Amino acid sequence: MRKRSATRRMTLLTMLLAMSILLHMIEPALPIPVPGVKLGLANILGLITLYLFGVKEMMTINIMRVLMASLLRGIIFGTGFWLSMSGMLLSSLITIILFKQNKFTKIGISMASSAFHGVGQILALIFINNTVMMIYWLPMLWFSSVPTGYITGTLSIQVLKRLKVTERNRV
Amino acid sequence: MNRYDKGLMIFILVSSLVMYTTMEWFVRSTTSDQIVAVVYSYDKEVLRIDLKVDKSYTVEGTLGTVTIEVLDRKVRVEKETSPYHLCSIQGWVSYANIPIVCLPNHIVIIIENGVLDPNDPDVSS
Repeated sequence: MRKRSATRRMTLLTMLLAMSILLHMIEPALPIPVPGVKLGLANILGLITLYLFGVKEMMTINIMRVLMASLLRGIIFGTGFWLSMSGMLLSSLITIILFKQNKFTKIGISMASSAFHGVGQILALIFINNTVMMIYWLPMLWFSSVPTGYITGTLSIQVLKRLKVTERNRV
Repeated sequence: MNRYDKGLMIFILVSSLVMYTTMEWFVRSTTSDQIVAVVYSYDKEVLRIDLKVDKSYTVEGTLGTVTIEVLDRKVRVEKETSPYHLCSIQGWVSYANIPIVCLPNHIVIIIENGVLDPNDPDVSS
């Protein structure tokens, strides 16, 4: 019984990782008129993993996603990779903090995650380009995190509702 | 959405507006008549453009030639080679608080105050 559960868990995590890599890779092709702003669709899978499995699994999925998507796109350890990695690490950190506090809904967590993803990217840009001027992008990224976070949070809620996952019903 | 979410949403919106207003005020108060656009490639300054002169410039990016156009004290990337053409889609920029970043070409254009270097080396127009 225990073995079957472990297999199911591994299969689910692998499918979530595959879906997050797919979304990560196709997202730049989606037309958004504001430069530098993305919906962050791959973060939906991170949030779903957090509610299905827990913190450790979410971090694994997120790190693996950035690593594997960068490998597949041939930009590993390039500028784009470091932007994704720093944004993901900071957004995951704030997601975990807010999740543990248990005060915010998935929409609130998504908004904060999206906002801090932008902060992480700006910090990486400042470091890579060695100019503090990049901070002028921050208000726009910060502002756009509200609609993007709302969309990704709502999508996560809908997916989890369909999976009938509750706090007691974790995988 | 609960009240904590709403509070967070208001905090993000208000703080982004405060950040934008502060930066805008800072840029406007420190911008003089002598405005230049500085083009960086791999963190090295390669071109200094006088925004009072309407002209096109070219610099070499990682993926090919990047054409920069100046018109009415505004600057834009007119043409470049990149997968998504984000920096040419960005369009005209006239304030120092909006850098143009062409990541695949490692080109960054930042509007700055400053005197134009008459012995500018790497200019090809």
